[in-house]
Amino acid sequence: MAIRDQFDLSGKTAIITGAGSNLGREMALAMAEAGADIVGTGRRPEPLEETGELVRAKGRRYLARPTDVTDSLAVDALMAEAVVEFGRIDILVNNAGGGSAGHGKTLPEHTDEDWYAGIDANLSSAFFCARAIVPHFIEQGGGRIINITSGWGFRGGRNQFMYPIAKAGVISLTKCLAMTYARDGVRVSCIAPGAFPHELGPETEQRGAMQAAGRFGRMEELGPLSVFLASDASEYLTGETILIDGGAIAAGVTPAGLVPSLD
Amino acid sequence: MAMFDLSGKHALVTGAMGPLQRALAVGLAEAGADVSLTTATTAMAEEVQANSILNECWSIGRRGEALTLSIADEGAVEAAVAGLEERIGPISILVNASHAVVVKPFVEMVSEEELGLFSRNVESVLVPTRVVGKRMLERGQGRVVNVASILGDRGVPNCAVFSATQGAIVGFTKALGIEWIRQGVTVNALGVGFYEDVPGPQQDPALREILEKYIPVRRLGQAADLQGALVYLVSDEAGFIDSEVVVVDGAISVHA
Repeated sequence: MAIRDQFDLSGKTAIITGAGSNLGREMALAMAEAGADIVGTGRRPEPLEETGELVRAKGRRYLARPTDVTDSLAVDALMAEAVVEFGRIDILVNNAGGGSAGHGKTLPEHTDEDWYAGIDANLSSAFFCARAIVPHFIEQGGGRIINITSGWGFRGGRNQFMYPIAKAGVISLTKCLAMTYARDGVRVSCIAPGAFPHELGPETEQRGAMQAAGRFGRMEELGPLSVFLASDASEYLTGETILIDGGAIAAGVTPAGLVPSLD
Repeated sequence: MAMFDLSGKHALVTGAMGPLQRALAVGLAEAGADVSLTTATTAMAEEVQANSILNECWSIGRRGEALTLSIADEGAVEAAVAGLEERIGPISILVNASHAVVVKPFVEMVSEEELGLFSRNVESVLVPTRVVGKRMLERGQGRVVNVASILGDRGVPNCAVFSATQGAIVGFTKALGIEWIRQGVTVNALGVGFYEDVPGPQQDPALREILEKYIPVRRLGQAADLQGALVYLVSDEAGFIDSEVVVVDGAISVHA
């Protein structure tokens, strides 16, 4: 098959958690563009429906299923329902999560609730979703899981006691799932986005100039990577985490924009 | 689907004398790019190989040329690139795929062999990157992809100097990406595991049998396995991926 056809997702169905906004919506739209039908989950129904309108406008089927992905019973029910509705599920994107729980608190201030809420939203959710869908993948001879981590999964931060730790866990989950199910045709990869601001404005541009790339990532730059990793074009790629950060981690040895000179 | 279309772009693939380089060149051609090739020596077999790869790209309907030149000779590369750009068009994709392997206990290596390996594996990446990169920077757009073995940060016995050359490419990729991205040129690497038909320890039949069980995907890589990652990395859609090594290895490097 010619290489560009290998990126085609026609006839495949993707479940995307956190599909109502930001990177989740971008991945839903890019995969729909590439031919996939989409099951969108998230906590709030309205944004999921907005994503749905955009997906349907591309001529694809879309099912919105508001789900709390930190609740494993709800996750099991979601996966079972999606399989019945679409006949098969080919792609799972574990995108739900966020860094707010305990953000910036000192170690003594960091509560049990901060810890559990954050780890559950970012890490347990991915574990629950993978556990629920992998038997279906094995039965149908394969499938794709794309986990979303963050540049924080590679770094430490002062007074960051949840998010970087949860995101490092997502990278490890990726490797262990890949190792376990490679022989069953299941491919598991991970995307580590750098800074992708939710809203753009003059101030964002100023702060973006401090990034290694001289700018932040643009939302639409994330979708194509998810299409590649969901497609047959990445058949021999598994267990890997791919940074899409404009070089931010590679540049992390000095403050961004610092240019050594002997003059 | 509009994504990953390379139509109208001119790609240069160096070290075009093996099945890996063939797959990379043909993948670019299939995605729409004109493809030119270089081979490192004047050995007849390598020229025949390069011309056969070129023919395959032509048969897809693309333009391009195959040149024989010493890829670490800056003057020769300058002249070749100037000519290629004049005849085919500006090179906006550079794939450094020059690749040589020596498998030998380190204590038996001699200095000339080491310098030779560094010349064929590292200088062969630096020189075309500088020559083509200058032109990309002037135009404010370009994609450089270096092909590097996963042995750049892992080890097997009797490959230490080879590993050193691959580690050099990885370090170069990460640093140069930072130097150039603000000017629109990204630099990334393809991390290659153990592949069929490629020189390396996997060509030992006993080791190969072990590897086929050890690799989580349970097969050696085939050259075509690299095409998707390459086409993605050089596409317009990959402008925010930089200084990154995309490893395509069937998860062998995920092992402890």
